[in-house]
Amino acid sequence: MIEALQFTFVQHALIAGILVSIAAGIIGSLIVVNRMVFLAGGIAHASYGGIGMALYFGFPIFLGASLFSVLSALLVASLTLHKRHRIDTFIGLIWAVGMAIGIVFTDLTPGYNVDLMSYLFGSILAVGTQDLYFMGGLLVLIVAAVSLWYRQILAVSYDSKYAALRGVNVRFFYTLILILSALTVVIAIKVVGLILVIAMLTIPVYIAEKLSNSLWQMMLISGIVATLFTLLGLWLSYTYNLTSGASIILVSAAGLGLFLIARRGR
Amino acid sequence: MAVIEISNLSFAYDKDIILENINLTVEPPDFLAIIGPNGGGKSTLLKLILGQLTPKSGTIKVFGDSPKNQLSNIGYVPQNTNVNTDFPIKVIEVVLMGHIGEKRPLFGYGKDEIACAKGALAQVGMEDYANVRIGDLSGGQRQRVMIARALCAHPKVLILDEPTSSIDTKGQKEIYSLLKKLNEQITVIVVSHDISVILEYANKAAYVNRHLAFHDISDKSEVFHTHGEEDHFCEVELLQLLGAESCNTCAQETNAVWREKK
Repeated sequence: MIEALQFTFVQHALIAGILVSIAAGIIGSLIVVNRMVFLAGGIAHASYGGIGMALYFGFPIFLGASLFSVLSALLVASLTLHKRHRIDTFIGLIWAVGMAIGIVFTDLTPGYNVDLMSYLFGSILAVGTQDLYFMGGLLVLIVAAVSLWYRQILAVSYDSKYAALRGVNVRFFYTLILILSALTVVIAIKVVGLILVIAMLTIPVYIAEKLSNSLWQMMLISGIVATLFTLLGLWLSYTYNLTSGASIILVSAAGLGLFLIARRGR
Repeated sequence: MAVIEISNLSFAYDKDIILENINLTVEPPDFLAIIGPNGGGKSTLLKLILGQLTPKSGTIKVFGDSPKNQLSNIGYVPQNTNVNTDFPIKVIEVVLMGHIGEKRPLFGYGKDEIACAKGALAQVGMEDYANVRIGDLSGGQRQRVMIARALCAHPKVLILDEPTSSIDTKGQKEIYSLLKKLNEQITVIVVSHDISVILEYANKAAYVNRHLAFHDISDKSEVFHTHGEEDHFCEVELLQLLGAESCNTCAQETNAVWREKK
């Protein structure tokens, strides 16, 4: 394993894994406390539409996926604010239509048979330098937004009605959380793939929730736990030549199982 | 200045008239109970006072101003505090939320804010629970924390929506005694269907059922009296009594006795 560290692609994979895990810990906490897990799943799958379009029109995949997922997030945000009682139907719709658009555009892309699997299940060993900049930049943005607006985000997440009465712009912060979730989903696609991203956003958070007394503690613990799972998953993936995303998720699930057994044993 | 002044107010959702020709004046330091049947318009009236709805006709003034401009003077305690109990948040952080919307340090909480939040917790008798997770409290304790959160912003009026709906009887009494104590300094308005308890503590009552019937109940024996020693009011009778513009049958009554409901 140690000798593997001299390869650039392994170094990139490790850095990407750490950056994405920390981002997933912070954003996953917000998704879980705001009960947006299904919503985040919808955005994750819809982002495949952006991947397909990026391939067809020949612009960077990250850019396509980001634009498309942010647009879906904005759509979901406006639907949530206006048609709250039908939101599950709309999420289901966005989920499926986004993927369908992606598949059709991939079909239409001439002479280039893209490896669908790498987007669905991740391709962390193919992370480039530019990808790392994108991931790092997004993590800085997330940390800045969450520290600067911590109390507003906390108030909106805990009790949005009260926050609105106290003059907090609930709509703005709700949309902000959704956009940051959408972008986190995009960077997580490289590491675990869009199908598995939900597990990465929720399993570490579930463990952290039991161990923390405040939201920032939950974010911190989730970030650390997610990083541990990712690194262990990557090691297994490298050693036994397994798909990285699936290894990370199974390590996370095993970790969760052990955690629950240990808690029950107390 | 009147805390709340409502004159000739009507409100309707589409063509459904919810409130019609409402007049109400709340003076400091009243303890007003807003009561009435479900669907009678209590919550709508509350939303109008909080500026979340605008009246169809008539006016509503809070401290002589439009409600939206006076939100910082209103301490609001929402209904049902048993939601989101899994949320990882400490009692003190919930109380600190009362400060939101004010100019504050870029990161974290100011020392003055924390001192103020602890003071508010002490006022409701919860100072020992500052670092406890909110989900670990009982319903009554959580309600006290929500009152502390409202007090944190130094409001001139405290408005509570069904404050005891999910609390056991002992907890209810405690909450109302606390409100009575707070009422020595600020105006308190409570929306409740739990009228037998609230009427012991309030000095004014507004019965809302599309129309509003206002009663000064500071002298309980004037307003309520049973007919004979063995009688006592049940909640339905109380509601009927308060719903009527005045009590005709009682004009001739000689030995009016107010008895607390057991």
